[in-house]
Amino acid sequence: MKKITAFLVLNILLLGSLGGSVSAQAAGGSVLIKNATVMTAIRGTLEATDILVQNGKITRIGKNLSAPAGVRTIDATGKFVTPGIIDCHSHTMMDAVNEGSFSVTSMTRIRDVLNPKDIAIYRGLAGGVTAANLLHGSANSIGGQNSSVKFKWGKPVEDFLIPDAPPGIKFAMGENVKRSNFQPQGGVQPRYPRTRMGVVEVMRDAFLRAKDYKQSWDDFRAKKTKVPPRRDLELEPLVEILEGKRLVHAHGYRSDEHLNLLRIADEFGFKVATLQHGLEGYKIAPEIAKHGAGVSIFTDSWSYKLEAYDNTPYNAYIMWKAGVNVSINSDSNERMRRLNLDAAKVMKYGGVPEEEALKMITLNPAIQMGIGKRTGSIEVGKDGDLVIWNMHPFSPYSRVEMTLIEGDVYFDRAGDIARRAELAREREALERLEQNRPAGAGAAAPRPPSQFENGHLDDADHIDGGKR
Amino acid sequence: MRTKLILVLCAVFCIAFSSSAYGQSYAITNARIVTVSGPAIEKGTIVVREGLIFAVGANVAVPADAIVFDGTGMTVYPGFIDAVSNLGMPAAPQRPAGPGGGAAAAAAAAAAQQAPTSNSNYPAGLRPEDMAADDLRAGDGQFEAARAAGFTTALVTGRSGIFNGQSAVINLAGDNVSGMIVRSPLAHHISFATIPGGYPGSLMGTFSALRQMFLDAQRQMEIEKLYEANPAGIRRPAADRSLSALYPALNRQMPVVFNAVTEREIVRALDFIREFNLRGIIAGGHEAGSVVDRLKAQNVPVIFSLNLPRRTTSAAADADPETLMTLRMREAVPKAPAALNNAGVKFAFQSGGLQSLTDFFANAAKTTENGLSKEAAIRAMTLGAAEILGVDKQLGSIEVGKIANLAVVKGDVFARDRFVSRVMVDGKVFEFKEQPRPPQGGPRGPGGPGGNPGGGAGGPGGPSVAGTYNITINIPGQPLPATLTITQQGNTVSGTMTSQLGTTAMTGNMSASGFSMSGGIEFGGSSITIVMQGSVAGSQISGNIDSPQGQIPFTGTRNP
Repeated sequence: MKKITAFLVLNILLLGSLGGSVSAQAAGGSVLIKNATVMTAIRGTLEATDILVQNGKITRIGKNLSAPAGVRTIDATGKFVTPGIIDCHSHTMMDAVNEGSFSVTSMTRIRDVLNPKDIAIYRGLAGGVTAANLLHGSANSIGGQNSSVKFKWGKPVEDFLIPDAPPGIKFAMGENVKRSNFQPQGGVQPRYPRTRMGVVEVMRDAFLRAKDYKQSWDDFRAKKTKVPPRRDLELEPLVEILEGKRLVHAHGYRSDEHLNLLRIADEFGFKVATLQHGLEGYKIAPEIAKHGAGVSIFTDSWSYKLEAYDNTPYNAYIMWKAGVNVSINSDSNERMRRLNLDAAKVMKYGGVPEEEALKMITLNPAIQMGIGKRTGSIEVGKDGDLVIWNMHPFSPYSRVEMTLIEGDVYFDRAGDIARRAELAREREALERLEQNRPAGAGAAAPRPPSQFENGHLDDADHIDGGKR
Repeated sequence: MRTKLILVLCAVFCIAFSSSAYGQSYAITNARIVTVSGPAIEKGTIVVREGLIFAVGANVAVPADAIVFDGTGMTVYPGFIDAVSNLGMPAAPQRPAGPGGGAAAAAAAAAAQQAPTSNSNYPAGLRPEDMAADDLRAGDGQFEAARAAGFTTALVTGRSGIFNGQSAVINLAGDNVSGMIVRSPLAHHISFATIPGGYPGSLMGTFSALRQMFLDAQRQMEIEKLYEANPAGIRRPAADRSLSALYPALNRQMPVVFNAVTEREIVRALDFIREFNLRGIIAGGHEAGSVVDRLKAQNVPVIFSLNLPRRTTSAAADADPETLMTLRMREAVPKAPAALNNAGVKFAFQSGGLQSLTDFFANAAKTTENGLSKEAAIRAMTLGAAEILGVDKQLGSIEVGKIANLAVVKGDVFARDRFVSRVMVDGKVFEFKEQPRPPQGGPRGPGGPGGNPGGGAGGPGGPSVAGTYNITINIPGQPLPATLTITQQGNTVSGTMTSQLGTTAMTGNMSASGFSMSGGIEFGGSSITIVMQGSVAGSQISGNIDSPQGQIPFTGTRNP
C-alpha cells in the first residue's frame, strides 16, 4: 500500500512539475484521513478523528470511518490536521505587481499576469498554504483587480482561480501612494497625488466619475440615449464596488487614513472588505467593527518606514476583542511558508484562544475574501483543503507532512524527499546537454538569485511591475 | 546575309540588355529539385522566365534563349522564408534599459511620447496604424547576408512597441521598397511590451491597454455604422485612425501575430485571441509544445523561433546552479516543432533575432534530431510559412506559375558543410563564392583570402584590433564597465566581453568600417543576441552594441 501511495504521489508530483497538459477536469479527489487530531477552526479540536473527502468535498468527519472502494487512506496517527492556510495578502505567481503610471489603475487585472509555474507556489504548499488573495501592489490610490486562487501546482492557470470567489480590488493610502519614498526620475513630473489629502481626493473623484458612468449606462438602458456609452474598463470595477459586487482590499498603516477610507465608503455607500496591514487598527477597533471591515495584518512586523511605527503585537488581540474579523497575512513568498507561527504568536500576545488564532490564518481570511462558505474550516460540505502536520502546528518544531486541495495531494514531504535522488540524476543529465553547458571559460560575478532580488518590506518596491 | 547579322546582333544586345532585368530566361539542369508541394525530382530541370517558374520536371526542354546553370550535385529548394524578421527595418530607437533607466533616458522617453509625430491619440508603441512598409529601407545590399544563407523572402515588422507595426511580406532583392513588397499590410504584430515612462508601464497595464483599445475599436465601428445609417441625433464618431486600424483584425480579415515565447505568454495570447475572436498567430513559440491542445483547439498557427535557448554565460563557482525548470526548458524547446507537427498545428520557422542566419539551418537540424522529419522542417521554412502568411499561391514551392524564388544548395541544407551557391529572387540571380573552410574542429586558419561573401566591402586594410580593452557601455543612467578582449586572425575576429552581467563570447569579422561581432547573452532567463560593432583608433575603441532593447554606445581604451 505504501509503495502504491508513494507511486501515486510521485506521479502527481511528476505531472505537476511537467505541468500544462494535465488539467483538473475532475471535480476533485477522494481521500480518507485516519485517526488524526483535527483542528477544525470552527468546532474545536477533535481527537482520533477521521475525515472523508469525496470528489473534492468533505463528506464525513467522525471516528472509525472506512474508505469507500478505490479511495486512498492516509494514516495520520499522531498527526494534526488543520484547514489549508489562506494568505489574504500575496503577490506570489504574479509577473507584474504595480502599474505605477497612474494613481487609478482599476482597469488592470492580476488575472492577466499569473504565472502558474512560480516555484514559490510549491514552497507555499510546503508551508501549508492552499489559497491566496493575489493583490495588485500599493503604489496607487486605486490599484488593479485581484485574483483569488488555490495553489493547484502543476495545473493550468485557469484551474487556480476559485470560480465563485467574489471579485476584489486593491486600494492603498499613505506613503506608497503619495510616492514619499520614491523619487521620480529627472525630467519626469512627480505623479499626483503627493499628499494624503490628494489621495482622498483621487478616490472621491474616481467614484464620482464612476457614478456618472453608471448613470450613462442607466440612461442608455432606459432608452434615453441612442448610442451605447463607451465601455470604460477603469470605471466598470468601481461601479461594481458601488453595487456591492466587488470587495475592496485597502492597504494602509495609519488609523486616520483607515478612518478616511471608511468615511469615503460611507459617503458612497459601500463596505470595505479588508484593511490591509492595519498597523494602527487597535486604535480604532470599535470603528472598524462598526463598519464591518476585516483587517489583515502582520503579527509583529513594523518600523520599516515612518508610517509603520505605531504598532504592537497586541494589535490582533485588541481588534479580535472588539469583534473585528482579523486575519494574518504574509505579503511575502518567504513569510508565507510559516504563517502558522505568526498565528501562534497572537496566543502569546494578549492570549487569543487557540481556535481563534488558527482562524486568523484559515477561516477569517476565507471570510474576508468571500470564500468562507467553501473553505477555511473543516466542516462537512466544505472543500477538502487540508494540511497534515507532524505535530501541533503552533510549535516551532512543526512541519507540514502533506497539503491537500479539494482532496488532491499537492505537497507530500515523503514523496518530495524520495524524489530528490532522481531529480539529481535528471539535473546531471540535463547539465550535460550542449544547450545547458556554459559557452566559454571565464567566470563572471555571481548574480543574486531572483528570490533575493526584492527584499521588500511591502509591495510598493515592485514599482516596475517586472518581478520575475 | 545582312539580315542574319542584324538578327545575331540583336540577339546579343537583347540578352545583354535583359540579363540584368527580369526578362531573362534561366534553366537549372541536372539538379535535385525539392518542390515541397510534390515529390522531390532526383534529377530535373527548372526553367525560369519573366521572374516566374515556367517549367519544372525531369524531362523539361531547355529554351534556346535561357542561360543554363548546371545543377549537378546541387539541390534546389524553394527560396527560404524567414516568417518573422526585422530585415530591412531601421535599427531600434534608443531606449532606457530596464527599470530605473536613468534620468536622461526617462526624460527622453517622455519627450518622445509628447512629440507630435502622428495624429494618433495613442503614444508611440500603441499605434496599430504604423506600417512596416513605411519604414522599410531601400537598397539591395542589406539583404546580401540573408540571400547568401538561402533566404529569398521575409515577413518584416518593426522592432519596438506593443504594436510593432503592420507587417509586410518582402522579397529580398530590389533597390526600391515598392519592388520588394509582395504583400502589405499582412498582419498586426503585438508584443507584450510596455511604454517606457508612460502607460502601460507594466505587463498588467499592457493587457488593460490592449483590451480597452480593442473594445474602443469595436465601439467606434458600431457607431460609424449607426451614424452612416442615420446621423440625426448622433454625435459624430471620432476619426481615430489607431482604432480604425484594428477593424480588419476585429473582422478577422487580418491576422494578429502575438510575440509569445514562454508557455504562459502563449496562454495569455491565446486567452486574448479568444476574448476578441481574432485570427491569431503565435510568433516565438518556444514552449508551444506544452500547449499544443489549446493551439489546435483554437486553430492558431505558430511561427517558431529558431533562436533556440542555450546557456551563454558561465557563472562563478559560488553562484547558485540554474533551476531545473530552466534546464528542462532548454531541453524541451527543440522538441516543440515535432509536437506541433504531430498534433496538426500549422507552424513555420523564423530566425527570431538570430544574428547569423547560418544558425537558422543548424538549429532547424536540431529540431530534426528531436523528432521532426526533415521534410516537415523544410516545409516550415518554405510552403508552410507561405501558407501561414497567406502567400502560398505565389511562394513557398517550386511549381509552374509561382514566383521564381529559389535556393541552389550544394549538398544537403542541413549538412554542416552546406553551401548556397546561388539564389534567385523574383527570377534575379545572385551567385556566391564558396569560402575555404577551416579544418574541422581546429582553430580558424590564419588569414584566409579576404572578400566577404557576395563581394561586399573590401578587406580589413587597417591595423589589427586585437587586444584587451577596458570599456564602458553607456546604458543611460547606469554606465556598465566591462572588459573586452578581441583576437583577430585575418578577416575573422572573436572576442569575449565580461561585465557584471556575465561573460559573452562573440565572433564576427572585419569590414572597411571596423569590426562586427555577435554573441548571445543570458538576460532575464532567455538568450538574446547582441551585435557589437566598432572601430579602433590608436588606443581608443568605440562603437555600438545592438540588442533587441535598442542601440547602446560604448567607448574604451586598450590595456597596454
